[in-house]
Formats: sequence, structure tokens, C-alpha cells
Amino acid sequence: MTTDPDAGGKPRDFMRVVDALLDSVAMICRVITGLSLVGLTVIFGWLVYGRYVLNATPTWVEQVALLLVMVIAFIGAAVGVHEHTHLAVTGFRTLAPPWLRTVFVVVTDLLMAGFGLLMLIYGARLTAFKWDSMIPLIHVPEGLRSLPLTIGGGLITVFALAHLLRLALGRDLRSDIIS
Amino acid sequence: ENWRGWNIHVEGYPNTVAMDKFAELLEEKTDGGITLQMFHGGTLGSQPDAIEQVRLGGLEIGNFNLGPIGPIAPEANVVSLPFIFKDPAHMFRVMNGEGGEKIAAGMEAKGLVPLAWYDSGARSFYNGAKPINSPEDVAGMKVRVMNNDLYSGMISQLGGNPSPMAFAEVYQSLKTGVVDGAENNWPSYESTGHFEVAGYYSLSEHLIIPECVCINADVYNGLDEAQQTALKEAAMESAELQRELWAEREAKSREMVEAAGVVTNEIANKLPFQEAMVPVYETYLEANPDLRPLVELIQSTE
Amino acid sequence: MGLTVLLGLFALCVVLGVPVAFALGIAALAAFAYEGLPLMIGFQRIVSGINVFSLMAIPFFIFAGELMFHGGIAMRLVRFASAAVGAVRGGLGIVNVFSSMLFGGISGSAVADISALGSILVPVMKEKGYDADYAVNVTVTSSIAGIIIPPSHNMIIFAIAAGGGISISKLFLSGVVPGVLMCCCLAIAAYIVAVRRGYRAEKFPGWAALTMAFLGAIPGLLTAVIIVGGVLSGVFTVTESGAFGAIYAFLVTLLVYRSITWANFTTAVISSVRTTAMVMILIACAGAFAYMLTFYRVPDKTIDLMTGLTQNPIMILLMINLALLILGMIMDMAALILICTPIFLPVAVSQGVDPYQFGMILLVNLGLGLCTPPVGACLFVGCAVGKLPMEKAVRTIWPFYLAILVALMLITFVPAVSLTLPGLLGM
Ligand code: NA
Ligand code: NA
Repeated sequence: MTTDPDAGGKPRDFMRVVDALLDSVAMICRVITGLSLVGLTVIFGWLVYGRYVLNATPTWVEQVALLLVMVIAFIGAAVGVHEHTHLAVTGFRTLAPPWLRTVFVVVTDLLMAGFGLLMLIYGARLTAFKWDSMIPLIHVPEGLRSLPLTIGGGLITVFALAHLLRLALGRDLRSDIIS
Repeated sequence: ENWRGWNIHVEGYPNTVAMDKFAELLEEKTDGGITLQMFHGGTLGSQPDAIEQVRLGGLEIGNFNLGPIGPIAPEANVVSLPFIFKDPAHMFRVMNGEGGEKIAAGMEAKGLVPLAWYDSGARSFYNGAKPINSPEDVAGMKVRVMNNDLYSGMISQLGGNPSPMAFAEVYQSLKTGVVDGAENNWPSYESTGHFEVAGYYSLSEHLIIPECVCINADVYNGLDEAQQTALKEAAMESAELQRELWAEREAKSREMVEAAGVVTNEIANKLPFQEAMVPVYETYLEANPDLRPLVELIQSTE
Repeated sequence: MGLTVLLGLFALCVVLGVPVAFALGIAALAAFAYEGLPLMIGFQRIVSGINVFSLMAIPFFIFAGELMFHGGIAMRLVRFASAAVGAVRGGLGIVNVFSSMLFGGISGSAVADISALGSILVPVMKEKGYDADYAVNVTVTSSIAGIIIPPSHNMIIFAIAAGGGISISKLFLSGVVPGVLMCCCLAIAAYIVAVRRGYRAEKFPGWAALTMAFLGAIPGLLTAVIIVGGVLSGVFTVTESGAFGAIYAFLVTLLVYRSITWANFTTAVISSVRTTAMVMILIACAGAFAYMLTFYRVPDKTIDLMTGLTQNPIMILLMINLALLILGMIMDMAALILICTPIFLPVAVSQGVDPYQFGMILLVNLGLGLCTPPVGACLFVGCAVGKLPMEKAVRTIWPFYLAILVALMLITFVPAVSLTLPGLLGM
């Protein structure tokens, strides 16, 4: 995720390993969500083809598509946390004095990590709660719908904690903090 | 105690009026011990979500159609078998008898206690091309159905092309011909405006799905006997009101769409439709063998 | 008290810099906990927020827009617009406005328009002697037209927030005239400012060159025809039309323009996923937030409050406009559509405003918010593309704000602007 100009020291080496690891996780997520988007587009093409050309509408498309959107949304959102691409109001934090700015960032990361953890826990409970009822027309557990929420939540926690770690090691990348 | 209740219908709809009546009666009969705040218009979520919310205890009360309860409680799914009821009166005879008790027991096992049955009429086919009198008329037709294997299986067996589709897209799709037809009861056919774009309504009455007033099982079991009785009485009385209002509303909707030029037809012989459903029933009973006695019980109920 | 927790915590999170989507989610869950509601239901609302079939059109429109940009379709549309009106004084400013109309008509995303069009047009304008602030101002404000010219994913968000009773096709049609009207107002503003600053006209490239540019742009223009025409003619639903827009854009860039490479394609996919995920997580968390707003009966209370202040429908509409404008200055569009629609739509409807017209009022107001400091995503992106500090852009942007305000007032007080076209087409 970053090249370190003044390399050296154990914690920094450790962080580099962590960065490399998380970057590969994010890359895997990108591949999964990218394939989901392309898949989504293709099955809709198939839907229209089925209805007009075959006169047999594939009834599974709607439900499969909804599942793919869950993957894109929650796994993609986790990557967004890693890359800092979510829309946030940073104006106030930029105006604050440096010490307060650090407080803002630390609290933000903690809140994000906490929210991710709740996503993980309650997503898992929701998944278990709905595991034995089936989604009509595609016959997979209803619980699958909230599985991406669970996984995305876990990833968000990891990514947010990594931001904190980076901050502690003085390697945070949010430009308005390092000034 | 202050409870919250869910209902999908808008102000003035029979169910909405009846649920408000239920809240009023409940407060009266418990001497203000239980108050119920109703959230109408589905503002707290879709029907499957609200069912889940009642099961989880976020809401205490809900007015649900048995269709979306089917995937959770298999016993409740039998009412979604096409043509299982002869007419709405037969449905109520079943639901108020042994059949209803078995279905209620299945729902209770999943955390929902039904207090009374509401009417939602009968669903029939409508389309923009021609009256439907026999399965051959459905052949080749793209028909929008709700998300349920039984409904899509029904259309397939009639030779049509079942097209599940979000409800919001149905009007435009009927208008432009993305689908040829759909199916619903009189009041929905009228209030959605579908009659403007699909002017043939054929009284197939293929689905007669009851609705229920449900309560969260833990909340129900935590009540004392007097409260449980008050609750059931309030629900029963509201159900009487609902059936009355429903009948009026059905007649009014029918009158309205017919005045607007909709062509209605009775189906003289429904037997070919019912015979076409044999594979649907067989597939269903193969997957749910323990429900066979219940299906037979309903079919043999006079 | 619970409502204070909900709104207060949300405001606090936003100030801290927590991404808006998560700020909504955190505040909502805190309110769930405060009221003793099961947290599982909070997460059910988050999942259900995006478990909506019509939402599927959003990734498709975004994907189609990205493919058009990375595959060179957008560039050809700009070339055509430039050949058509470049010979007028301040012509490139007007080109900019009408390019937004054409391209914005397809991508449906104001931010995507700016990053796509801005990065092509702003450097060209600067090179031809236009000031950077002028170039950025035109680019930023005209991108709002893309929000109300169909197709537009923000319109779909509005339809969903309105509770499903809104036909997306009719909503799309309602946006055409207001969008064109707004483009005209902006073009006039662009012309007047250009004349006052003494910018010179481009040479007319000749009919041959114009025809060539037009021919080159046809396959790209057809993307819009496919999306909108496909829906109106009933070949497919709105959602399917989005998918076809994306498939078509891919095929055109692959087979006709031969400009798409594997690298371009993966960039388009990754970028689409990024935007989609941002929008979707926002909608998801707003679902939990809206649940608590309903729980506290905020919409009912707002109606009582507003109708208590005044009974005059014009004043109420102006109050709604003002409230939306102020909110738009500090927050982003999709979140605001989701939060404000359930609150203000019933108020407007109770004053006799048509829901489709209200949709236009809402979108233009919030669109204007995208171009205003302190939180204006469009303004940020525009300034980034033009390499211009935000203060400098804002100092000279007022004629364009004025143009949008004129359009906004016409849309607010003349229902026919929005409703005539769908009426003519029998909707
Ligand atoms: Na648009
Ligand atoms: Na803004």
C-alpha cells in the first residue's frame, strides 16, 4: 500500500508485512466483487434473452442478482474502508488543531472497528437465524443473504484496526493528518 | 405495556381500519393495561422483514398474509397450493377447524401465534389480450407471479411463462408488454391501476390465501390468562369487522373497474385447471411428505 | 430523548469524520440499543435496505458510464458537442453544459460526469484561453443536469425512498424538461460571463467536420436511446435496460471503436464496484436510520411543525427548498434523498404537490448542494480536475448558482415543467 522511505526498525518491518497482507486481501475482494458485477450484468442479459428468445424466463435471476448485490455492497464497502474512499466530511477535522485531529481520527477508527465487529457478530446471528428457511425459486438458505454482511464486517474491523496501527507507527496516509 | 404493530395497507383499507379497531378493543378489554401503536403502510419494512421482526421481538403484533409465512412455517405453505380451497367460505371453514389448528401450531413453533384469520379474497388472472377460460388460454403467456415455487410451477403447468418481477415494475411492464398478465384480488387489481393496462379479469380464484393477526410467541406466553382471552376476543372481533369491510371493498372495486370497461368472466369449468395442478402437488408433497395428511384434510373438509 | 441520541450521535460522527454511511449506521444502532430493540433487527434493516430489486439499476448505470468513459464513447460525445456549438462566443462553456446533458444523461452520476467530462474539457478550455475558475464552475454546475436527465440512479433512490408507489419510467420522463431547462439557464449564464470576460469564439469546423463528429458520436448516443427507448417501448424494464446499456457500451467500445483494452476494462469494473459499494452501503445504513425516524414518528411531527408555522403552500414549499439547500450544503446526495424523502414528500403531497414534481424539486436542491461548500462532492472533484483551490472557484460561481435557482423556482412553482411530458405520453 505504501513505500517506506526511511525503512528500518522492527515495527516498520512488521507493518510492511501487515500492509502487504491486507493489500492482498483487498485485491482478492476486488476480484470477487468485480466478478460479481460482471456476473450480474451477464445474467440480466440472459434474463431478457430467455424471456424473448426462449419464451422461458429464467426465474432464478432476480434472487441470484440480489445475492450478488450483497457481495458487491458489503465486501466492496470493506475495501472502501481500506482505501479511504467512503464519502466523509473531513472539513472539521482539517480545521482542528493537530492534537485534536489525532483524537478525531482515533475515535473514527475505533467506531469503524466497533461497527465492523457488530456487523460480524449480528450478521452471523442473522445468518444462523435464517439458515433453515429457503429463498424461493433458487433453494439456497435465506441466511446466505446476510453472510456478506458478516464477512464485510470482519474485514472492516481488520482494516480499521490496521489504520490505527499505522497511525501509532506514524505511517498513516490520511493527508490532512500528516501536516 | 406499550406494543407496536405492523400492517402493510394504507389508511382507509379494510385491514387498516380493522387493525385500528383491534388496538382500540385491546386497550378497552385490558383496561388500558396494553396499548398498541399501529404502524400502517409497511413503514417499518417489507412483509417478510416484519414477520422476522415479530419473531425476534422487535414488534409485538403484525397483520400478515400466510403466503410469506410459508417459507418459514411449512404448514402455512399449504394454503399457497393453487386451487386447494373451493372458495373463500371453504377457506374459512378450514381455517376455523382442525386444519387451522394444525397451521397455527406450525406457526407457533416458529415464534408466531395467530390470533384470528382475516380475509384477503381470491386471486384471479388478468391480462390485456383475452378472457381466460381454459389452460390453453394461458399457454405462451408471460405472467407475473410472486416469488414462490408453487406460483411459478402453477403458471408453467398451465403452459405459460412465469415471470417473477418486483411489484413496482408490474404496471409499466403490463402496459408495455414486458409481461402479458398478472394475478391478484379485486381491491389490488383496482388500487394499483393494473385494470387500466390489463382489461380482462378472469375469475380463476386460484389462490385464496388467508391473513392472520399474529403476536410474538414469547410475549403471548408471558401474558396471564385473562389478558390472553382479552387479546383473542379483540382479534376475533376485529376479524369480523375486517371481513365485513373486505366484502364491501371487494364489491366496490369490482364495480369500479367494470364501470371503467374491464371485461370480467367466470370460468365455467375449473376442472382442467385443477387437473393441471397434479404435478405441482406431487412435487410439493414429495419434498414435504409429512404435510400430506394436512393437504388431504383440507381437501376433504366440506 | 431517543431521537436526540439518534440525531446527536449522527451529527457527532459526521463531525469526527466517520464516513457518512457508517455514521448513519452507528447512530441508528445506538438508538436501537437505547430503545431496547433487538440489534439483529438493526442489521436486518441494513441488509433489507439494499435487498431491493429496483436498486440493481444503479450498478448497471454506473458500469455503463464507466465503460463509456474508459472506452472512449464520452470523448466522442464531447467532440460532437464541440463541433456543434463551438462557434458561439464562450462556446466551449456552452459545449461543456450540453456535453453534461448528453453524457450526464447516460451515466446518471454527477460525480462521474465531472471526473469524466471535466478531465477532458477543463484542460482544453484552459488551453484555449478560458480562466480555470470559469472552466471549473461551468463543469461543476452543469453536472447537476445529469441528475435529473434520465437515466439517473439518484432518481431510482428517490423512487425507493418514496416507498415503491413511484413509477421509475414516469419519473425519468418527468426529468427531461427540467433538465433541458436547467441546461438552457446555465448556457445563458455561461454565455453572459464569457462575453463579459471577453472570451473569443472557436472557429466553426465546417459542416463536413460536424457531420463526421456526429457520425462518430452516433454509437455512443445510441446508448442513451437503448436505455430510455428500451424502457419506454417495453422491450425491458428499467433494471434490464441498465444491464443492456452496460453490455451495449462494452460491445461498441470493443467492436466499433476498438478502443477498449483489458486494462481499460478492469479499471472500469474496479471503479464501478467502488462507486456501487459506496452508494449501496449508504443506502443500507440509511435503511436502519430511516427505521428509527419512523419509530420516532418524525415524518408526522415534521408535517405538524411545518403546517403549524404556516398554512400557505408557497411558503411551505419555500421552506422545504431552504431546508434541503442547507442540508445539501453539509451532506451528500444519496443519503439526503433517503433521509428527506420520507419526511418531506408527505408534507409536499399534503400541499397538493405532485410526487413526481416533488422528486425534481428534491433532486435539483440536493444537486445544488453538491456544488456548494463545505461538503460538495462535485465541487471537490471539479477543483481537483481543474487544479484550483476551492475558495477561488467559489468566488466567481454565483452567476451559475443564480441560473440553477431560476430553474429551481420554475420547477417548484410551475408543475407543468415536470408533468407535461409524462402527461403527453399518457403516463
Ligand atoms: Na442522468
Ligand atoms: Na453538498
